[in-house]
Amino acid sequence: MTQIRASSNGHGLDLVPTRPLVEESIDIRFPLAPGDRVIIEEGAPVSIGAPLAERYRDTILAQASLPEGQVGRPGERWTPPEPATRRGPGRPTVRGQGRPTGGELLFPWRHGWRIASGEHAEALDAPVNGIVRELIPGVHIVVRAEGRALRGIVAIGGATRGRLQLAAGPSGELRPGGLDVGLAGAILVVGARVDAETLTRARAMGVRGIVVAGLPSKERRDYLASEARQRAALHRLPPFAVLVLDGAVRRSIAGPIVALLEALEGREVAIVADPPALLFDEPDLDLSAPPPDLVRVRSGRDAGREGRWIASLGQRRFEDGVLLEAAQVRFAEGPAVVPIGDLERFSLRSARAE
Amino acid sequence: MTRDPRAFFALDIGAATASAALVARLAGRWRLLGTLALPAAVGGSTACRTLLDRLGAADPGMAAAIGADPDAIERIPTVTVRSGRPRQLAVVAGSERALAPLARIAVGAGWSVRQGSAATLDPLAMSRLLLDPGVDAVLAGAGDPPGADERGAMRELATLVAAVAERRPNLTIVLAGALTDELARFGDVAARPGEVLLGAAATASADGHGLGELLSELALPPDDSRRAAIVGIQTLAELTARRVEYVEIGFDAGVRAIADPTLGRDEPVVRSAVVTAAALVPPEPDDAVLDRVLGWSTLPLDRHRLRDRLRELRINPWAGAAGEGAALRLAAARAALGRLLESTEQMHAGAPADLVVAGGGAWAVAPGPVVTLALADVLRRPGATQYAYDHARLLGPLGSIADPDERRSVMADLADDLLVPLGSVVTPAGLRSGRSAGRLVLHADAGDTELDLVPGGLALVDLAPGQTAVADFRFRDSVRLGAKGRQFEVEVAGGLGGLLVDLRDVPLKLPERHDRRREQLSAWQASMWAGLDR
Repeated sequence: MTQIRASSNGHGLDLVPTRPLVEESIDIRFPLAPGDRVIIEEGAPVSIGAPLAERYRDTILAQASLPEGQVGRPGERWTPPEPATRRGPGRPTVRGQGRPTGGELLFPWRHGWRIASGEHAEALDAPVNGIVRELIPGVHIVVRAEGRALRGIVAIGGATRGRLQLAAGPSGELRPGGLDVGLAGAILVVGARVDAETLTRARAMGVRGIVVAGLPSKERRDYLASEARQRAALHRLPPFAVLVLDGAVRRSIAGPIVALLEALEGREVAIVADPPALLFDEPDLDLSAPPPDLVRVRSGRDAGREGRWIASLGQRRFEDGVLLEAAQVRFAEGPAVVPIGDLERFSLRSARAE
Repeated sequence: MTRDPRAFFALDIGAATASAALVARLAGRWRLLGTLALPAAVGGSTACRTLLDRLGAADPGMAAAIGADPDAIERIPTVTVRSGRPRQLAVVAGSERALAPLARIAVGAGWSVRQGSAATLDPLAMSRLLLDPGVDAVLAGAGDPPGADERGAMRELATLVAAVAERRPNLTIVLAGALTDELARFGDVAARPGEVLLGAAATASADGHGLGELLSELALPPDDSRRAAIVGIQTLAELTARRVEYVEIGFDAGVRAIADPTLGRDEPVVRSAVVTAAALVPPEPDDAVLDRVLGWSTLPLDRHRLRDRLRELRINPWAGAAGEGAALRLAAARAALGRLLESTEQMHAGAPADLVVAGGGAWAVAPGPVVTLALADVLRRPGATQYAYDHARLLGPLGSIADPDERRSVMADLADDLLVPLGSVVTPAGLRSGRSAGRLVLHADAGDTELDLVPGGLALVDLAPGQTAVADFRFRDSVRLGAKGRQFEVEVAGGLGGLLVDLRDVPLKLPERHDRRREQLSAWQASMWAGLDR
């Protein structure tokens, strides 16, 4: 039905989806669970390192009574009344049966309240400057972050912060042997892929985060298992996160993103999980727009290749006779016909789908 | 809206694909002039503009006749439907027995469902479930009257849900069955931004229809493409006076609808389900999803690589569609169709459809005969059925035309363009193994074709789109082909895949060993796939 003719709209370049390179002032979300203690207030400004909340690893369900005349609301904190002073030696307490440590009111039940009470608090600190836009105890804290963000497709781990360092080339790979203690406190850009062993060792050495183009499912699974074991231990390591920029298979980091990361090298950045992004607040950083005709192969056999757009060609038959919208692209090796669906281009401005 | 203008755009904007079609009135009837599908991020207006450009370049006379000049993009009206991210529903009940029918109804109503009962979750875990920010609505239900196993937990459950509703005022709450008696716990519901709605018990009707309708209304907005496609199928059943089944495998959900012609009845007869678990690739493909895709895969991939490829397909649904990518999509689509059928078992009853219409981007990359085979692999209905594909994604936009007469009139005009005929599939069941099960003589305009019927195999007979023929089957032993017998005369229609006589087992039996299974599937697929390079 469609005709094999070049489109007149900039040789059809507008048929290629645009990936915004950076976004301004994004909302980042920190999930909370019932029982977690919120420290900040809605509308309050937060600065880097400021405590937002205390999260509890072991939350238990308990029953509590409010002092007479006090009306509780779900989500409010409950603090146990001070016990009357007594003489003599204290009685030994058993875990879970000692004096209640306080908690969060869940719902009224019988003559008291069901509460969520926790042990082993972990501080949740702000990784960026911003303003608390929404706060619902037991649900989440939403912070409007200052600065700009480079989006990834997934981030594993909690919010973290460190100075950015390029540890491998855009199509390279960081192996465990490439890590040393001098990298402690850094967020490393490690190239095309990374394995679970490198991630685990990086975390143990005090590296704060990893930025990588592709994280294979097996490595992701193995790392998450290691992470779960780590969480079960009482000894905590500093926060650590892995930001995956593209997908699950090996591919080079896109040229325009490499240029951005190179410009950020040595500066403080943060990784957050929701949305998965690398955040930086560098108003002086002047980002140059990528060439408008630069296109990149997103996926498939040629994933990561970059070239210059020539023109759209309409429908063409590809491998196994599959009929797809096609374009001619000039790569370093020469021009080639590529399915348009494989391509992406970059823009400094946010592009919105309808 | 289509009465005055000479042309209109039909736009279906999904999570992965923006599909545009240009429909124009020519020689007194509506015709499809062009169609274009692009990644959703590109947007529908780019697709429409490109269609106009291409029409102008290919046939300036026709473009002028319908007023499709370069400025027409602002003037030509657009019928748009959209499908967004599925909303998440937390389903809770007092007991596992009460939970099961509630969850089943919610699953078919287009919700992404998370569930738990007071029997398996303590109040803390249930609070955690309902307070999860990903949850958009809560369905708390009980039988009416409540069963003995749920009575003890109902009060605490209602109190817990009311407390969550107070903490999350925007959350939509649905109380069903006997839990509606607990409405007073939710205070002044009119002052609350999120609705508190009352529904019938899941077991109030045999198919939970009342509650299902309410949940569908909440899950899918009025311009939802899947909801509109169901109306489109209903209209198609009326127009063709045939039983039509629609199976769509989309990026975020699968749709199944079975529509019967009204034949003078007041109420249209359509049963439908929108199932998020039947998306082409769920956001986090678990082992069960992986096993199913692996079971249909013709690619030599181990589990880890297959999982990577599925994740990539989810992240970049348009990328890598040629070659192995097409085979991967077909395996994922078969697996998703299997999940869709499992989730809609209650719709299996009744005679098989006369016409099966496939929809969704999952089928777009493969040749017609291969799509027919993929559908026949999973649907496995003894009988004779015609297959077609909604290639231009018109069923949604046309189904959204509010005036039923106008909708019927446009769809009747577009009958020849609306669907691509894939062909007819005849599937006899109960064949005995042996060298020959009988003979087929196909009486077509071009002459007769005779064929030996070999059990366990596939026989493909050329029958071009638009042609009809009479297939005369003579089996050695009695088989099931609609009815039971040895001799059948079946009227069949042609298509891209012609007539496919599927003599394989019903249900399909495949080798247990993965390599042999893959070989078998590859051989069947290769026999239908013209232009296969491997």
